[in-house]
Amino acid sequence: MSTAVLTPGLRAGAQPRTAAGARPPATVLLSAAVILLVLAWSIAPGLFTGHDPAVGVPDDKFIAPGAQHWLGTDHLGRDLLTRIVHGSASSMTSALIAVAIGVAVGGALGLVGGYLGGWVDAVIGRVVDVLLAIPGFLLAVVVVTALGYDTRNAAIATGVSAVAVFARLMRSEVLRVRTSVFIEAARISGGSSTYVLLRHVLPNALRPVLSLAVLQFGIAILVIAGLAFLGYGDPPPASDWGLLVSDGREHLLHAPWLVLAPGLVIAVVVLSVSRLSRHLDQGRNR
Amino acid sequence: MSAAATETTAGSSPAGTSAAARTARRYGSFALRRTGQALVVIALAYVLVFLVLAAIPGDPISAQLDNPQNGYSEEEKAQIRAFHGLDRPVLVQLLVSLGNALRGELGTSMSTSQPVAAMIGEAIPSTLALAVTALALAILLAAVLGLLSRLLPEGPLNSLVRSLPAAFLSTPNFLIGLVLIQVLAVNLGLFSLVEPESARSTLVAALTLAIPVSAQIAQVFITALDESSGQDYAEVALSRGLPPVQVVLRHLLRPSLLPTVTVVGLVLGEVLGGSLITETIFGRAGVGTVVQKAVSSQDVPVLLAAVVLSATVFVMVNLVIDLLYPLLDPRLRVGKESR
Repeated sequence: MSTAVLTPGLRAGAQPRTAAGARPPATVLLSAAVILLVLAWSIAPGLFTGHDPAVGVPDDKFIAPGAQHWLGTDHLGRDLLTRIVHGSASSMTSALIAVAIGVAVGGALGLVGGYLGGWVDAVIGRVVDVLLAIPGFLLAVVVVTALGYDTRNAAIATGVSAVAVFARLMRSEVLRVRTSVFIEAARISGGSSTYVLLRHVLPNALRPVLSLAVLQFGIAILVIAGLAFLGYGDPPPASDWGLLVSDGREHLLHAPWLVLAPGLVIAVVVLSVSRLSRHLDQGRNR
Repeated sequence: MSAAATETTAGSSPAGTSAAARTARRYGSFALRRTGQALVVIALAYVLVFLVLAAIPGDPISAQLDNPQNGYSEEEKAQIRAFHGLDRPVLVQLLVSLGNALRGELGTSMSTSQPVAAMIGEAIPSTLALAVTALALAILLAAVLGLLSRLLPEGPLNSLVRSLPAAFLSTPNFLIGLVLIQVLAVNLGLFSLVEPESARSTLVAALTLAIPVSAQIAQVFITALDESSGQDYAEVALSRGLPPVQVVLRHLLRPSLLPTVTVVGLVLGEVLGGSLITETIFGRAGVGTVVQKAVSSQDVPVLLAAVVLSATVFVMVNLVIDLLYPLLDPRLRVGKESR
């Protein structure tokens, strides 16, 4: 989901600006806690659940959420929370890969285009236009079709669909920084093009790009979940969050928790990520 | 996307017919250049999607031909491959395909042997109904959220309204769709999934699509309203004793509409991309479903045509918005005269 449009919107002016150095608002702390928890799930899933994510107890199938199984069990008697926890590593890693591709490729394109200008900028500009012209999710679907269906490829496809947004932001930041006095000074004192670019332009243009990267991390989780939902990720018994929702679809009538729990986990994580991103963005405007 | 906004600057202009004619000529050349750009982007999008899809290892045709059970002779195989143009180098295939597409020939499906144009043509009405309804609902929802954010007194209710867009945007649309189906179709029996194209079913599917899309529009609208409410004219209007509703409707709404119109064009991409999942969940026979079938059967011509069609719609609608922009905004209309 391309989100060029998101960035300005998220800087909604209404929130009271906290003074520098003050404690961040409670919602930000809560969001950070959610993300830390999910990161911990990804790194050490065994610490959080005693059940097996792939093997269930057939007698315990379709148990509603309760004290024994917090989020209930599925059609094979597998504990849903365990599956969500074990699926988080894959979901988080693939979102990270997607954002890394977006930042690295998009950032490089924007940096080079904005700094060099001229025909290089014009060519890169057209490429970015084309990438923006294809609806993001469709572009991801096309790329994953070409690469083959698995979660790693879905991550790459999501990254490709995010390249344009990063390229555009990086370019505008470089254009803003490029005319600064200190860049002028660095050039006059004999810095080579590459040196000035990497040493002076890049660090000053990076902050908003990082704030966008946090936001895009949340969006990448959604896109990858969407691709997994359609079956373009790893096949079962993998337990990517989108795949869990898709698996639960068949049992929506009598076991709605199989859809609701993984779906809400996605929503809460993405919401937390976007809250953090907005907080970082406000810090910049302060 | 708003090239017009950056290319023209506000300023005073001497009245006179020659000035008006000059403005018209400038607008004409701007419109022409912008249209040319859009067409180039669409053509390049075709090339990009073609090349990406050319990387698919194998295709349904070769898979069928090489299956010994089908018993094709080598000669027949070559004939069939030649019919689909598979025997030529990729670049030649690209040029032929692009040339045909420019003449409106989209080729033949590799899995159903139907003309691609017919397959997509049949699916368009369903997707069009879904997309237009979704966009209308999204705009309505965003307008309500935006106005509430200004009219509600500061407090928990206002904060809730302001945090709704972020929540909408974070919820996967397949979750929204499945919950709506569960509650509205199964529990309340308001519509039936057996008739996915019925008006009620379309409305619910459109709502699924509209919720995340409305969030993006609402975010821009709310920010724009906040910005214009900080302007002097808004404070003057308030201090003159105008009720807040009137201030919002008469003084804040118009300047806030321009950025909102721009974002409506941009979220069209979300509507087109999101229709893929929404149509699948609701079982609609639209372009999204065609794409999904083409993906699973690796039907390159169909996938190519459907994706480029989406890109074309997206680019064209944004072109129209860009061209309307100088006409909507008086500051841009008098524009370049001062230079």
